[in-house]
Amino acid sequence: MFKHLVDGIFWDIALWVFTIGVLWRILSIFLVGNKKDLSVARTTGMTGAIAANISRFFPRSEMQSRTRLHVIAGYMFHLGLFALLFFAAPHILFVESQTGLSWPAMPYWAFIVTAQLAFVGLLLLWIHRVMDPVTRLISSADDHVGSILTFIVMLTGCMALLEGFEGLRVLHRFTVELLMVYFPFSRLMHAFMFIPSRAFTGAWFGRRGVKA
Amino acid sequence: MSDKKQSRIRRHRKVAYSLLSLLVLTLVLPLIPYAVAEKDETAGKVFNPGTELWRDVRQRDRDVIGTTQMKSVDAGVLINEYGETWRHFRMQQLVPYGAALMGIVLSIILLFYLLRGPLRLQEEPSGKKIERFTVFERTVHWFTVAIFWLLALTGLILLYGRFVLIPILGADGFGITASACKEAHNLFGPTFLVALVLLFLTFVKDNIYARGDMLWLLKGGGMLGGGHVSAGRFNAGEKIWFWIAIIGGLVLSVTGLILVFSILGQSREIMGLSHVLHGIVALVVISVSFGHIYLGTAGVEGTLGSMTTGYVDEAWAKSHHDRWYAEVKAAEDGSDKIVDEPGLATEGKS
Repeated sequence: MFKHLVDGIFWDIALWVFTIGVLWRILSIFLVGNKKDLSVARTTGMTGAIAANISRFFPRSEMQSRTRLHVIAGYMFHLGLFALLFFAAPHILFVESQTGLSWPAMPYWAFIVTAQLAFVGLLLLWIHRVMDPVTRLISSADDHVGSILTFIVMLTGCMALLEGFEGLRVLHRFTVELLMVYFPFSRLMHAFMFIPSRAFTGAWFGRRGVKA
Repeated sequence: MSDKKQSRIRRHRKVAYSLLSLLVLTLVLPLIPYAVAEKDETAGKVFNPGTELWRDVRQRDRDVIGTTQMKSVDAGVLINEYGETWRHFRMQQLVPYGAALMGIVLSIILLFYLLRGPLRLQEEPSGKKIERFTVFERTVHWFTVAIFWLLALTGLILLYGRFVLIPILGADGFGITASACKEAHNLFGPTFLVALVLLFLTFVKDNIYARGDMLWLLKGGGMLGGGHVSAGRFNAGEKIWFWIAIIGGLVLSVTGLILVFSILGQSREIMGLSHVLHGIVALVVISVSFGHIYLGTAGVEGTLGSMTTGYVDEAWAKSHHDRWYAEVKAAEDGSDKIVDEPGLATEGKS
């Protein structure tokens, strides 16, 4: 019964909520628009937008020692999760079953190493968020729920790795559906918004000749 | 007697001898194999082809290496007799003795708490806080804790699940749970090595033997006889726990990697021994960790805050780690480490 719900109506609901929610969030931001900038532009906004997008991938030199943990753990988690999501063989098979699209999967050993990197990164980031009084202060319940939900999705995924029990696959898919429903209403939206957000900041300052 | 009569008698006698010889041969010839067989060393045994085959398969008398196209260690061995020894040890000794060890340690802790109660501060809290652990140190500690307990719980389910969980979940439910735990245990195992390296590099400098540690041990850290025992940043008990965690963790990691990566060419005997060592060390480290958890929470007043906020009261520092407190006080130049509010002292320390 639960399996049919998870594979059927729950999945449909989660997919619709995720798709419409994400589109609504993105459109609502873009449709707000900007006040007309009356100042004389020093440079084009495009240059600043591109520069900010690239420069944000690297820690500022004066902040390197303070942000080392964030940067290393951040890359471990985000790159690891990206690789798991799009290049794990079971995920590609699932996408193929739903859409007919397919692409090469990473080998099993790479899958395991990637999962471990992602787990280490996520745990370090979340524990540091809780331990550091500054990040603890600026974190809301949303940040913690997002981190814990992502961890649970990854954990149930790794528990179903053997692909020997249908119940574990269903459990993993159910947690994924919970995350998909939660996603559009949370800060997890940064997965879609980090590039336009950086671009906006970079363009805003770039037009004024300020290096963002 | 005529010649004719004598000739007939001789003929009859020959016939009689021939018949007698034939009779003797008829009776004796079938006995010859038995007579010969009695001279064989294996005479008297009744061979059962099935028994002999099973004996060879289990290799009770000698190693029997078969032929197979599989290219791996022991691929030609159908059943390794050592596996039975390992299984017997696991079920008859590791499981009951491990449970007894954990039960005894928990009982001692409970008894100690009921009789002695938590260790109180020698003086009233001053309200002034002193930084004991930085953000990084606490992050490394809790990261190790998270990985350790994820592995410990999944490992304990794998070891004791059939006794505890099958009555609750049923055989199928336990099968799913055990599979999930095994995958999680194997996947998280190597990450424990990462945590262990971070833990070692972060805390080793303060966990080397120093003067006063032996005295601390002889006085039981003041827990048994009462009274204050001088200590540095970490007392001898904490140092022992640190090295148990590091060395035990290293053994767990190495044996765990041997078990997970069975493609590296190790034999079944090596894997069996690794499993035995893995189980024993895990149960010992888990049991000792109960003591660490007790002392870090309910056992010693004001200790938990050192690993959650990073700060302890000055009275706590003077009471439990007076030499460390003196060092901090001596080193401070602008009292940037002694503050009234923990949040204000974090600038530049993460």
